[in-house]
Amino acid sequence: MADEALHMNAPTTSGAATAAVADIEVNRDELDASIEQFVVKNPGYYQQAFHKIHDTTSGIPMTFNTAAALLGPLWSAARGVWGLFWGFLILEIIAWVQIGRGTWGELGAADLQRALEQESRAQDFFDRAAAAIANGDDGSRFETLGNNLMLAAERSRAAADAAAADGFMILVSGLALLAILRIGQGIWSNIAYEKQYSDWRVKPDETPSGIDNMSALFGGLLVLAVMPLTIYRFTVENVPDYLTAFPANSDTYSNTARWLEGQIDSAAAAGSGTFDGIVLAVRSVLDTVSLALMGTPWPVVMIVICVIAWRSAGPRVAIFTAAALAYIAFLGYWEIAMETVALVGAAVVLCVVIGIPLGIWFGKSERAYKFAEPVLDLMQTLPAFVYLIPIIAFFGTGNPPGILATIIFGMPPVVRLTALGVRGVPDSIKEAASAFGASGRQILRDVEIPLALPSIMTGVNQTILMCLSMVVIISLIGGGGLGQVILEALQFAAKGPGLLGGFAILFVAMVIDRIVQGAFRRSDLKN
Amino acid sequence: MFGDNAKQTVDAAISRGISKAEALDEYGTVIGVRDASFTVSRGEIFCIMGLSGSGKSTLVRHVNRLIEPTAGTIKVLGEDVSAMGKKQLRDMRARHIGMVFQHMALMPHRSVKDNVAYPLEIRGVPKSKRWAISDHTLGLVNLTGYEDRLPRELSGGMQQRVGIARALASDPEILLMDEPFSALDPLIRLQLQDQFSGLVSELQKTTLFITHDLDEAIRIGHRIAIMKDGVIVQIGTPEQIVTEPADDYVREFVQGISRLKLVKAHTIMQPINGLDLSTMPDAPRADGETDLDALIDLSVGSDHPVIVTDGGEPVGTISKATLLRGIQGGK
Repeated sequence: MADEALHMNAPTTSGAATAAVADIEVNRDELDASIEQFVVKNPGYYQQAFHKIHDTTSGIPMTFNTAAALLGPLWSAARGVWGLFWGFLILEIIAWVQIGRGTWGELGAADLQRALEQESRAQDFFDRAAAAIANGDDGSRFETLGNNLMLAAERSRAAADAAAADGFMILVSGLALLAILRIGQGIWSNIAYEKQYSDWRVKPDETPSGIDNMSALFGGLLVLAVMPLTIYRFTVENVPDYLTAFPANSDTYSNTARWLEGQIDSAAAAGSGTFDGIVLAVRSVLDTVSLALMGTPWPVVMIVICVIAWRSAGPRVAIFTAAALAYIAFLGYWEIAMETVALVGAAVVLCVVIGIPLGIWFGKSERAYKFAEPVLDLMQTLPAFVYLIPIIAFFGTGNPPGILATIIFGMPPVVRLTALGVRGVPDSIKEAASAFGASGRQILRDVEIPLALPSIMTGVNQTILMCLSMVVIISLIGGGGLGQVILEALQFAAKGPGLLGGFAILFVAMVIDRIVQGAFRRSDLKN
Repeated sequence: MFGDNAKQTVDAAISRGISKAEALDEYGTVIGVRDASFTVSRGEIFCIMGLSGSGKSTLVRHVNRLIEPTAGTIKVLGEDVSAMGKKQLRDMRARHIGMVFQHMALMPHRSVKDNVAYPLEIRGVPKSKRWAISDHTLGLVNLTGYEDRLPRELSGGMQQRVGIARALASDPEILLMDEPFSALDPLIRLQLQDQFSGLVSELQKTTLFITHDLDEAIRIGHRIAIMKDGVIVQIGTPEQIVTEPADDYVREFVQGISRLKLVKAHTIMQPINGLDLSTMPDAPRADGETDLDALIDLSVGSDHPVIVTDGGEPVGTISKATLLRGIQGGK
């Protein structure tokens, strides 16, 4: 029953609704006023063009803007349609280059040059043949060579003539392309301009409207700056050097470099105490981790690693870990691999110890974060090779500077994600804690850190992976471990050792990654 | 005795950085609350009713100084809150004021029991003691058996009961309720309102109850303050608010409110004016405090007007017409 009623009612309801919508009249007065305000000049034409665009139900609305077709990029510049301006400017340059080449381009000039050279060399041979005959010797060999060269010269001339004849075709193709582009602009400009009008309705202050003389002038200057030089460069055979290479002054370079070197040297000398202290601190951390990994008998370390893998990531990862460790041990990489783990471990420990408090600070203070963000960006975007040089200058070579380089690269994620986590803690929960009398420290301990923990853990995980990726790079500044094996293999192009060492690094990285991911997933499940 | 919130936020003294508020363009600042003065006595439930942006949440946050007042004084239990040092303020929050929030604001990583125990933990109460108190308080809000769950395993209504238990855990004299039931669905809201008013009258907690729902305010509050744009428009008992709205703004609110349980016989009764009561000995009699709902029952059972008595003495009558007009409201 109910179904039937529904069935009977449905068509009438929807029919009435459709009829009501279809009855709505399009009222263009308001629209026309707004379009006039937008285009300023020539409103009648644009009102009609926009109406046509608005009425189009499918496909490309066919309107043709004669002004845009005639003026090309100048029209787009004057109307402030900059997307259209740049797109068609670049395409038009191609057309103009073709036209230039076809009209005054020295087509076949290279071939002609070659033909002349070949002819003079052939003449040379003929001279020598004549001289030989005069001497009573056999000159036929020279004559043959001369004849061959003459044939080649003829071919070159033919090619040059053909190229010159092509000039007309190139001119025609250039003109055709230009015509197509102008017609394209004529059709496309109204569509683009209508889009700009729609944008203008939303953001009238930021969107150009009407005809702006300054912007037309600017567009004209741009065309003048870009077009003639480009066309000249591509149509003339011998262009002056200053067009192809920037006239740089080599003295500027060497003076600046020398000055910078002096500055770095004096800074390194002045701050040597501080830098030595930092190296000492890093070394003490490294030594502690190294002692734990390498001082302990290898069976103990192996068993501990396998058990950790089992506990944190399950039996499958534990079996993989055991296999990877066996590979490393049997190939004699044990000690070296442990050095790598110690390097990464020390770097990660330092990243976490420094990075988490920094992250908390940046998370709480918007100002501090604003200052820190560009530095963090720099740390991550600067290629490692670039900061290896100042690190050598200030901290020397060896493992501790290597760890410092690793920290520079590895620390941003933990800082960023800690800050993100702390900032993501809901204000309501912090407010509740303080409403019950919690102090700032208690809120940090009981609310902010626990709630930010998942984010902090993600940061630590990423930091570990980033630090691992630096293992090979730091061997360039004297860092030890498996990276050194790879570097040596690279230097002597030793394929076998390189591959074995490469797999050893891969396994170390995979084991650490699996264990950390496993631990992370488990703590995730618990939450 | 709880509180005296007298705040004269003069034109120059403006509360800054408060989002729910009336914007004052002159200074580019925002006025949260101004000219709000009232006293709440011990054991009273004082409702503050207003729409969003009226400054009610801001007002209540001044009581425990989650928001610093720009001007005026706030006295809690006779002590001036605005003059307190940081440590003293934290101590007062932990001991004397419990707060419940609209969005519960429970700590998601702590069990229900540990959430309720948090105010005690801040005060340094040992774990055994605070767990015992926590279990007891959860019992008060009928959540026994859920102590070791995480908040997210509970429904919205249950979570808010955890919030109430947390506010009660440190046995404070004062409860601040910031729209505690607004985020709940209507049926659960009704249940919690009843449960809450029973609990509070039993425990004798002085309560400042924020709501945007006049029905809720009338149901729960002993007195109601109606706020608009940071200013208190009217303070009064639910009956006063409904029968004598101070201005059109309040009148508009009150229109949809059912008067049956609010308006009392003495409000609508007509003077006896020479009516001979002895001619109608069967006429039903009602006390002056009888509400309209009960009066309707009485009136339906008899052809005579209802006689309103005060200490047994007739003081007025209510005819059927008077009763109908009374239900309609003041015409």
